[in-house]
Amino acid sequence: MTVWNPTDDGYADLSSHDTFEQGAPHNTFARLRREDPLSWTEYAGGENYWSVTRQADILEMNRNTAVFSSARGIRMEDQSYEEYLARRTFQETDAPEHMMTRIKVAKAFSKPVIAKFDDEITKLCDNILDEALSEDSFDATKTIARQLPMQMLGRILGLPEEDLPWLVEKGDALIANTDPDFTDHVLDKMSTDEFRMMPFNSPAGAELFVYAKELMAKKEAAGDTSGILHMIMQEGKDGNTITEEEFRNFFCLLVAAGNDTTRYSIAAGIQAMCHQPELLQQMQSDDIWATAPDEIIRWATPALYFRRTAMQDYEMHGKTIREGDKVLYWWSSGNRDENAFEQPFRVNLARQNNKHVSFGQGGPHVCLGMWLARLEVRVLFQSLAKRLSHIEADGEHKFLRSNFVGGIKSLPVRIKRA
Amino acid sequence: MKVTWKLPDGSEIAADVANGTNMMEAAVANNVPEVIGECGGSLACATCHVYVDADWEAATGEIDDFEDAMLDATEAERSDASRLSCQIIAADALDGLVLIVPKA
Repeated sequence: MTVWNPTDDGYADLSSHDTFEQGAPHNTFARLRREDPLSWTEYAGGENYWSVTRQADILEMNRNTAVFSSARGIRMEDQSYEEYLARRTFQETDAPEHMMTRIKVAKAFSKPVIAKFDDEITKLCDNILDEALSEDSFDATKTIARQLPMQMLGRILGLPEEDLPWLVEKGDALIANTDPDFTDHVLDKMSTDEFRMMPFNSPAGAELFVYAKELMAKKEAAGDTSGILHMIMQEGKDGNTITEEEFRNFFCLLVAAGNDTTRYSIAAGIQAMCHQPELLQQMQSDDIWATAPDEIIRWATPALYFRRTAMQDYEMHGKTIREGDKVLYWWSSGNRDENAFEQPFRVNLARQNNKHVSFGQGGPHVCLGMWLARLEVRVLFQSLAKRLSHIEADGEHKFLRSNFVGGIKSLPVRIKRA
Repeated sequence: MKVTWKLPDGSEIAADVANGTNMMEAAVANNVPEVIGECGGSLACATCHVYVDADWEAATGEIDDFEDAMLDATEAERSDASRLSCQIIAADALDGLVLIVPKA
């Protein structure tokens, strides 16, 4: 999350969504990396957790899935076995189950398949930017960043154009379920008991289940083979097809993860252009595009952490993680680790050997959509930079109220067209 | 054991690799370009794709079902010699192994 001058006192409450309304608490992360890289926090109701904040530790633990399981939930809130069964996506499974699903969708999101969408993304960016840049000042998250990912996902999946605004809204409600701007059911501020069994604890999840089921049936009936959904629904090498339950869980995940992560990468990149004016000129050259998307995505770190649960005791830094303990990998901290990145608090579009962890690199759950995210970010910023001679902040930006998704939900900017 | 990576530009990188290390880790440690290993060797990303030199295909063993499926998701075209290098583990029997790095 994108803060140049963090203001937290070094002891921020990482379990509090309110903390993140000022941006990620990087003074706290820096102190933890330095003094307490495996840090135990007790918080309300005994729901204690470990925080892992160094990039090297995150990479090492992330691959150790024999000890650190995803199957008990990936957010810090506790989750019962019944809830897990009711609403899991393949994010919340371990091997071999995770791989059984993953191989059904891996090809559809592979680099060469995604690369074929380059022209289509360029056209979409042109349309979005034509409209957004017709004004001299505007909210760049709303008019640019929020538009591209969902429109693109719709195209890739072969969804009806008219459904896209509804899907954006539902995706927001799923993931940003702690920010009152995006949902009427703020997770930590009300009794969400009736939503416990729903995907992402949200009625939006239930609605998306229904939508996915109908969509699959409609496509099948019409013999519609457009989009990668068709590819996903084909019989795999093992002779199995994706089940209805797998499909609708996967669809929910796509809408949730495909919607706001790339959005907040784009928003963070635009904010960076306002803060480091040299970036615009660099983006207008062809030299940095092999490295720039990953640097923008490092800078953004839209997924702040993912949780694992220890399946056995584990020793690290002189401490013992006990079986059953929750462990949070703070990607947000790993991506500012002074031992992994030179000048981590600068955006360096030419950064080489960029071992960021925004995609959960180093483990089996590495982001399925990473090639799509990189492509969207590259094309968007290439197209944007061509059209601008100047961009600056036009007032204060606002961060999402969430310790799980880090994003700039409102980003007023003023521009001069090229 | 000794391993050699043949790069698309005709150059080679050779290294001694400790037994038990997988060839993705070895490649990353030796700065072999285009062998990335985004998933840390978990068989989930297909970014450590290599072609095994014909002399070594038998010695590097069978491809399991998951690797077979993930090999359909590689950037460079799959061939009969294609492997994900995280699934090839250094051992005495592979001393002298030659891996060909696909063109990006």
